[in-house]
Amino acid sequence: MARDPKYDVLFEPIRIGPKTLKNRFYQVPHCIGAGSEKPGMQAYHRAMKAEGGWGACCTEYCSIHPESDDTSRVSARIWDEGDVRNLAAMTERLHHYGALAGIELWYGGPHAPCMESRATPRGPSQIPSDFEINIHPRYADKDDILELQKMYVDAAIRARDAGFDIVYVYGAHAYLPFQFLSPYYNKRSDEYGGSFENRARFWRETLIAVREAVGDDCAIASRFAVDHLFGPVSIEVGEDGARFVEYCDDLVDLWDFTVGDIAEWGQNAGPSRFFEENHEKPYTGQIKAGNHTNKPVVGVGRITNPDTMVAIINSGQFDIIGAARPSISDPFLPRKIEEGRPDDIRECIGCNQCISRWEIGGPPMVCTQNATAGEEYRRGWHPEKFSRAANAEKGVLVVGAGPAGMECAMVLGKREMSAVHLVEAGKEIGGCVNWISQLGHSDGKENLFRGTARGLGEWARIKNYRQIQLDKLRNVEVHLNSRLSAQDVLEYGAEIVIIATGCSFATDGLNPATHEPIPGADTTLDWQLTPEEVVSGTKTIGERVLVLENEGYFMGATIAQKLAGQGKQVHLVTQAGDIAGYMEYTLEAPMLHRDLHRLGVDIHTHTMLERVEPGACHAYNVWDTGHKDVFEIDTVVLCTQRISDDALYREVKADKARLEQEGIEAVYVIGDASAPRMIVDSVFDGHRLAREIDSPNPAMPLPFIRERRLWGDSSNDDFEGQLQSTPDVLPLSQLGEGIPA
Amino acid sequence: MKIVVAVKAVAALDEEVELVDGDTAVDPDGLEWDLNEWDTFSLEEALNLRDAAGDGEVVAVTVGDEEAQDSLLACLAKGADRGVRVWDDALAGADPLAVARVVAAAIEREQPDLVLCGVQSSDAVNGATGVAIAAHLGLPHVAVVKGLQHDAGVATVERELEGGLVEVLRVRLPALLTIQTGINEPRYATLRAIKQARDKPLDELDLGDLDLDEATVSAAAGARVRRLRHPEKGEGAQMLDGSPAEVAARIADIVKERLSG
Repeated sequence: MARDPKYDVLFEPIRIGPKTLKNRFYQVPHCIGAGSEKPGMQAYHRAMKAEGGWGACCTEYCSIHPESDDTSRVSARIWDEGDVRNLAAMTERLHHYGALAGIELWYGGPHAPCMESRATPRGPSQIPSDFEINIHPRYADKDDILELQKMYVDAAIRARDAGFDIVYVYGAHAYLPFQFLSPYYNKRSDEYGGSFENRARFWRETLIAVREAVGDDCAIASRFAVDHLFGPVSIEVGEDGARFVEYCDDLVDLWDFTVGDIAEWGQNAGPSRFFEENHEKPYTGQIKAGNHTNKPVVGVGRITNPDTMVAIINSGQFDIIGAARPSISDPFLPRKIEEGRPDDIRECIGCNQCISRWEIGGPPMVCTQNATAGEEYRRGWHPEKFSRAANAEKGVLVVGAGPAGMECAMVLGKREMSAVHLVEAGKEIGGCVNWISQLGHSDGKENLFRGTARGLGEWARIKNYRQIQLDKLRNVEVHLNSRLSAQDVLEYGAEIVIIATGCSFATDGLNPATHEPIPGADTTLDWQLTPEEVVSGTKTIGERVLVLENEGYFMGATIAQKLAGQGKQVHLVTQAGDIAGYMEYTLEAPMLHRDLHRLGVDIHTHTMLERVEPGACHAYNVWDTGHKDVFEIDTVVLCTQRISDDALYREVKADKARLEQEGIEAVYVIGDASAPRMIVDSVFDGHRLAREIDSPNPAMPLPFIRERRLWGDSSNDDFEGQLQSTPDVLPLSQLGEGIPA
Repeated sequence: MKIVVAVKAVAALDEEVELVDGDTAVDPDGLEWDLNEWDTFSLEEALNLRDAAGDGEVVAVTVGDEEAQDSLLACLAKGADRGVRVWDDALAGADPLAVARVVAAAIEREQPDLVLCGVQSSDAVNGATGVAIAAHLGLPHVAVVKGLQHDAGVATVERELEGGLVEVLRVRLPALLTIQTGINEPRYATLRAIKQARDKPLDELDLGDLDLDEATVSAAAGARVRRLRHPEKGEGAQMLDGSPAEVAARIADIVKERLSG
């Protein structure tokens, strides 16, 4: 089908300096964990989006010099000719698909701790980073400033040589150019500090120098946070924000607008539980609305809906739709609009798992919705292409339609298995997504800052996308309200059985802190609850509640938030140094803390329960176990740990002779039923098994390509040499000329 | 207890269709076929009655070309004992009344205690075939049944009327009932049952086998299709932008404009 004419505006080319962007879809710079050290991952991930129709794709932040080293977090680097060679793999592959390649030249100042390079970052004033630990910059005098600007120019020339079309001078997220611009960082009294013109001087001079060096060949872009969200002490959109755009408008070919900084960059990469689609509009939307620029503007805001995109362009908010997360979740988003099948778009759910792994420093990016993200090169996975399984004649039974089961059945269907039956005990597919997506709300009132506690409703997209795909697959049948016994499974007639029956919260307080149940903990009692029971509403909850949170992700804090929002008096207790520690990585933590504080939740860290009894929880400090405390409560919610619901798996696989007699060749267990995990990892597990269902031993993941330096061997041609599955993604040399550019 | 269930393979409705033959028919190329949703309920009802009786037979009968074979196999996989597929090229484009004439002839050979049909088919939505079969066979019939109990040759059936009113009737068998969705929870077939269905008896008959001919069938027809068309597209949707209050105000303005215009 052809695209709906209402989307035509999204496919109009637009001039960016010396370059032409073929449409309005633009992957803004975002981290993936590849950098310049994993050139295969870098090239194949970005180019997957180009194949899927994105008009331009950028690197992540790309360090211009060893003085800007963010280790252990992974940035790209363009320090030398080796980096040029590695990043050229990305530009070549992007150009093959007709996309422009952008590079975001980055110098972090005190925000780059230089733990690998051991260099000393320079900054406008000697004030430590507001989020790194104890990192002081060296005060940059005028000689330093000239050296810093030369670093940008040298990096820009190398970027041009690597084939980049768009060269950024990156200032957003409060990196060096912004540090000069903002009086929050810049306390200078020379011509680089004080007045607006003085504070803007470093950025402006750098733009002039970079433009002079490569401006004839490359488009010059700048990424700018139009509002630091710090109020009058820093850059506000209505003041220096708009003023700066006007001041440097003649020096750029493209503006890339954001808000906030890196210390709380969840204000920019807003998680869905607090921020709706296009949430930056009140700030970034002011620039074009106020006629502050004559240049093309790209902006973001987790924009996944084609109708929102059209409205953004037609209203003059932006000229180009920027995307990081929506392009990870669906690299083929533009092509699906082009082909008139927007219902196939895999919409980002705003869980920020992609960000979390980068924030941890080292792991590759992941995506809850798109299990192939980051796997394009090392496993040869393509999000839209699926080779026919070598054992496609087999019939497959998948038991349990949660995240792992849905994904596994969908991919097996796309791999043309002759018959796949996905059988679910509940009345709908989705598993834990069905109740988790009802969480994340408090009392519905405005939060302390920007967003609101709007809940995890968008997480239901995990189910919705798969529901639509499963409905389209003729070889997959989904059966609901059907709880299978081991006998049912054995007699089902499937050659391959996959158990995906999920997990449940521990009912006795078994936990990662003590490795034992908690005396008195028992959720079969009417005043003790698991998180599921809080959502299902089957038990009465008293006015005084204690929530024990030992998992370290969202559940315990989210339950406390919900109950406090209902007006309950809530104690939130954790053995850890902070509640919901992982939510720091997903950037959800700052807003969550604001909401919990506003709601009056009483947080007790480094605290564990030794005993639960009617009316009271007995606690102790984990560093000083003699220090006791007693909480008087009516109700306890236990979010201590989860336990696999694997009884069916154990029973089915127990009798080998019976399996053979029934014609069952293999029994696999995936997702939480194998070991409880985050949803992103359950989806991956289901996807992985389906991708490798025809491998020699599908229960064991095939090796993936590790991009490492092989001692005494300079070869990089390892794609075919190492990949042991049949790749759905091909090297450039095998792609031929037939790919539409 | 012997029950005949008349079923139909229907075109899956999630794809756009092309018109052919001077816009009198839907292009069958590329269509996917499923067992009609209503028929899954009538089949389930038949299987339950058979199983409750402890003996008997459920025969699924359809009129359709080879594309209908899979739907009939689906009935056998779910538990029907036998299948009968009637086809003759002369039946291409047959209307519900003509189809009913053919099905009635097939049912006459079976002499069942009960005939069940779906209320309607999801693709053509005539709702005529079931009651027309009853007319051809001279059987008492009840349409749009949402509850059914059987005892000693008498069926007690429930029909849902407007306003949630329930009409209860008793009908002596043999009779024909058209079954509404929701009356039961249709079972599904396991992979093993699907494989085993291929070994169940499935008769393929043509008009001659039923002592029918093209003229007889044509005479039974009640209508012919003169033209099919796609609905005309209305005016394009208008996207409203702004805060909820602004959008609400704009919608109110548009409604006022249209009302006064």
